[in-house]
Amino acid sequence: MRKPLVRPYPRDWFLRTHAYRLFMLRELTSVCLAGYLVFLLWWLYQLGKGDTESFQSMLSLAKHPVSIGLHTIALIAAAWHSITWFNLTPLVMPMRIGEDKVPNIVIAIATGFGPWLVVSGSTLWATLR
Amino acid sequence: MPQQTITLEVFRYRPDEEEQSTFQSYDVPYHEHWVVLDALNWIKDNVDGTLSYRWSCRMGVCGSCGMMLNGDPKLSCAVFLKDYFPRAIRVEPLANFPVERDLVINMDGFMEKLKTVKPWIIRDDVDPTDEEYLQTPSQLTAFKQFSMCINCMLCYSACPELDGDPEFIGPAALALAHRYNLDSRDQGTAERQDILGSEEGVWGCAFVGECTEVCPKNVDPAGAIQQAKVAATKAWYKHILMPWGKR
Amino acid sequence: MSHLTKTNEAFWWSLFSAGGVMAALFVPVMIFVTGFVLPFMMGDDVESQHDRMHGLVTLWPVRIALFGVIFLSSFHCAHRIRHVLMDFGMRWAGVALMICCYSAALAGTVAAGLILVRL
Repeated sequence: MRKPLVRPYPRDWFLRTHAYRLFMLRELTSVCLAGYLVFLLWWLYQLGKGDTESFQSMLSLAKHPVSIGLHTIALIAAAWHSITWFNLTPLVMPMRIGEDKVPNIVIAIATGFGPWLVVSGSTLWATLR
Repeated sequence: MPQQTITLEVFRYRPDEEEQSTFQSYDVPYHEHWVVLDALNWIKDNVDGTLSYRWSCRMGVCGSCGMMLNGDPKLSCAVFLKDYFPRAIRVEPLANFPVERDLVINMDGFMEKLKTVKPWIIRDDVDPTDEEYLQTPSQLTAFKQFSMCINCMLCYSACPELDGDPEFIGPAALALAHRYNLDSRDQGTAERQDILGSEEGVWGCAFVGECTEVCPKNVDPAGAIQQAKVAATKAWYKHILMPWGKR
Repeated sequence: MSHLTKTNEAFWWSLFSAGGVMAALFVPVMIFVTGFVLPFMMGDDVESQHDRMHGLVTLWPVRIALFGVIFLSSFHCAHRIRHVLMDFGMRWAGVALMICCYSAALAGTVAAGLILVRL
């Protein structure tokens, strides 16, 4: 006789294997990113006020250990997003020259890590000069 | 030296005898060159002839012997006992499929999904007496990787999205659709667009990527689906911005 | 196959993809600027720091770039958070989840527009 058994899928599947945990970590970087975007909106609003007192309060806040801590977490999350994103791009947009496949690392550097370096470098130069 | 043994804890389900599944433990002789399939065959030949499981080629090309080994979807003919020895091996049927008996799963859903994507050359002109279609090596390379699927369903067991949406067409079928869309002989991309562009098509995928990791034939279904998402997005915008165009 | 559901998911995914690229390229260095450059690497003269920062951010190309990054990154995050919640079991929330997530992103975008225009 036939009585197919349907097995329940674990609700905590994303904790069960190394690969699933890494996947969830990658996805959850968006929460940190979203939090930073909210902070950024406040930061731009404060900067836009144009007076030295508001700016002074921004500076004091920025020097506070909580700000340093949160910024460090946000930076790690954002960098993790960037690294995973650029490494996945060659799978989404593979390139071939004739019959030969362009190696994934080349695509990742040309479309991701390279531009990342350029953008980061020029932004730092613009703020520090 | 006394014969070493390795323990296999095998999922048993006998619908005619019991409501629930159980695990049965077998101590199998350990040989360095044996794969898990050899161990299962030894059990069936020497200990318990009622143990049911699928297998055929025993060399990784037929796709019959997929099962979960310590929670990972694998081909039992391709995994050596020595990769686990001296630990025990928990042998279970492929995840995300209903179990008919012991390690035998019901794959009707998968077969339906394969048919849904129209996995054949679609052309406006069909005349079998005409000359063969010409294809350059470069045109073949465009889709060859995605044609290597042996329908072993390991990717379906690795995909966590299937539980949330059992109607999700899934990695192998979507990769197969993409294989035909990329084939220079095929003219059916538009016809497959409604299928691929549906919620159950490419949009059911969250790019976990485990399907590609477990695939024994390097088909890279995850990559195929993301590429199909790009194509589906282009088609969507084209349809929105230029609705008068031929689909 | 019972039936296939039509969807406009492609639109949200295109915003997610564009936002993913923007966030990947720009957000790390922006975090570094607001978190470490500003408090520690701009010298001691508060007035000149303020003038430089304010001057840089009020340039129109910079305002437009900031708007683009915030707009697209917001929708990137909204899309990803929506799918994470679905993976956590909230698939039943369906359209409500879409409305919550994407309106939050829209709110962020509108706020960014207003703030950047009035800098």
